Amino acid sequence: MTRVYAALLLVALLVSSLYLVGVSYQARRLFGELDAARAEQRKLDAEFKRLDAERQAQATNLRVDKVARDRLGMHPATPAVTQFVVDAGATAAAGGAR
Amino acid sequence: MRAWLGRQRGARAGARARSVSYATSPLLASKTPPWRSKLLVAFVGIGFIVLLARAVHIQVLDSGFYLAEADKRILRNEKLPASRGRIVDRNGQVLATSVLAPSFRAEPKAFQADRQQRRQLARLLGLSPAELEERLAENPNWVWLRRHVDETAAQAVRAMNLKGVHEEREYRRKYHEGEAAAHVVGFTGVGDAGQEGVELAFDKELAGRDGRRQVIKDRLGRTVEDIGNSVPPVDGRDVALSIDSKVQFFAYQRIRDAVAEHKAKAGSVVVLDVQTGEVLALANYPSFVPGDRHNLTGAQLRNRALTDTFEPGSTMKPFIAALAMETGRVKPDTVIGTAPGRLTITGSTISDAHPHGDLTVAQVIQKSSNVGTVKMAMQMQPREMHELFAQVGFGQRPQIGFPGAVTGRLRPYKTWKPIEQATMSYGYGLSASLFQIARAYTVFARDGELIPVSILKNEAQAPAPAAGGLMRARAGAAQPVAGVRVMSPETARAVRSMLQMAAGDGGTAPKAQAMGYSVGGKTGTAHKQEGKGYADRKFRAWFVGIAPIAKPRIVVAVMVDEPGGAKYYGGDVAAPVFSQVVQQTLRMLDVPTDLEVRPQIVAKSSVAGVPESN
Repeated sequence: MTRVYAALLLVALLVSSLYLVGVSYQARRLFGELDAARAEQRKLDAEFKRLDAERQAQATNLRVDKVARDRLGMHPATPAVTQFVVDAGATAAAGGAR
Repeated sequence: MRAWLGRQRGARAGARARSVSYATSPLLASKTPPWRSKLLVAFVGIGFIVLLARAVHIQVLDSGFYLAEADKRILRNEKLPASRGRIVDRNGQVLATSVLAPSFRAEPKAFQADRQQRRQLARLLGLSPAELEERLAENPNWVWLRRHVDETAAQAVRAMNLKGVHEEREYRRKYHEGEAAAHVVGFTGVGDAGQEGVELAFDKELAGRDGRRQVIKDRLGRTVEDIGNSVPPVDGRDVALSIDSKVQFFAYQRIRDAVAEHKAKAGSVVVLDVQTGEVLALANYPSFVPGDRHNLTGAQLRNRALTDTFEPGSTMKPFIAALAMETGRVKPDTVIGTAPGRLTITGSTISDAHPHGDLTVAQVIQKSSNVGTVKMAMQMQPREMHELFAQVGFGQRPQIGFPGAVTGRLRPYKTWKPIEQATMSYGYGLSASLFQIARAYTVFARDGELIPVSILKNEAQAPAPAAGGLMRARAGAAQPVAGVRVMSPETARAVRSMLQMAAGDGGTAPKAQAMGYSVGGKTGTAHKQEGKGYADRKFRAWFVGIAPIAKPRIVVAVMVDEPGGAKYYGGDVAAPVFSQVVQQTLRMLDVPTDLEVRPQIVAKSSVAGVPESN
């Protein structure tokens, strides 16, 4: 009887050991994938930041001013060419609050 | 004889061995002494004990060395670089940001490339082939080929896939506003440490901390396991400045044009928001491009508005008038005789540029009369004047958290001689930076209160509890900041109307007037100090003013250094810059106009309708 138990335990031990080997292999493989994905994320983040910086560089005041003046023939607005409008709703609300 | 016997015996024994079988060998019958086997057992036992002891030594007592050796072969320390925080303006426009800029290094002894590949590599990295060879010859193990390569070139180098060429992830600062905001933003060194401006002042907040982790790598260099003790990288925090990049750009453009027009050496503009105490613009010319490392030296790096002091001259006169009114010595309409335009105090003569007759106090400020100002000042104690000057920030370093801000010079009143008290009343004998003068003028703009100024955006919410001392956001600071009362509101208002007269027709700076907005301000023009005396043909012209007068919103200070043209008075050189900056800034801040403007809008609707109907 004892021998049967011993044999069973041995088999169980072998199976569990092999399973452990399999699992740890899988864990390493998955970790490798995760790590690669993280690296990819960092790379894409950096790329995003770079592209965002480039987009902002296209919209700096220097460039906007230059394009507005040279290409579009614009010039800064002065009060003389500004039509001031009174927001009737806002004035009424302010009057009501008072 | 003995040798012969021995041979005899040996021959006989050999003969017998051939005939005797193993089992009956008499050798077996002979008794071995018991100590022999014991000795053998003892030897084996000792052998095992030695092995055991060695094993214990290696495994238990001195395990560290071997563990370290094992780790060396599989463990790798990886650095996780943190990126430096951004610097943004008050509207979130990015002024400085870090972008990935790979650097390439080479291992010359492993470097393999044919002639054409070398030439291509040199071209991509922006080197001449000779330079490339030179760098490769520097050190056989490790040399930088090129740091901070732009992305397109980096991709091409990567595609070449050369042996012995390695890529390092590095960040580089990008400065979008370039030279317009260069003095405020500053720049960093190659190690990404701040070297000037905000980059230096808030280096700690911006820097961030690199993380690291330990991993196990396999034969092929793939990461297979993360050993627990990793430190995640902490990215630097963003710093939001009070600067408005549009105002900043406009101010820079104007001062640049003014410096060019008047053939001047340099110029500065400071724009302060008097409600919140924020610096909206701080522009200097000449400037530099912070991203280009070749020209980061010399005088152009100086933030002149903060670091250069000069004698504030006539811009001090309103303070004397304010003090005289505050102490009840004069009223705005008190008449002071300034004829004949000269006044002698202890042997020295003070004179006006143009002699005037009797002037009221308001007119003294309007016409910028030295004699009139001195007559008011000589009624006062030196202590009173010194107290007022100190209260409005002269002789004190502005609390702006910016590197290089100077204190200026204000001597203790006990050492003042009468003539010095007189000259100090119109701004000679003490010195201040343009920034200090601009800040002092917030007293008039804020009805007698001096407000703290800040280069950081005042936010209603504190950004983070981890904020350092400098990053402390004042609670509820989106509302006007509290100031320190220096004079009564009535006095401040009276001075404001005098300043408006000075900037009006009949004043010293009618060119300061802005379209649609009431302005007031004071000009200053001074011979530059050189050594002990004053230079003959070198001037400095400036203008400090407030707008709009009734409900002040901004203080603008403009300084032009050594205008070389025919015009050199502050009213001609600096005041037009003031006018333009005020007009644009108030428009950008959505401040309604307070003066009637003759509209130049031509109603086109009816005219436009006709051609369309055709």
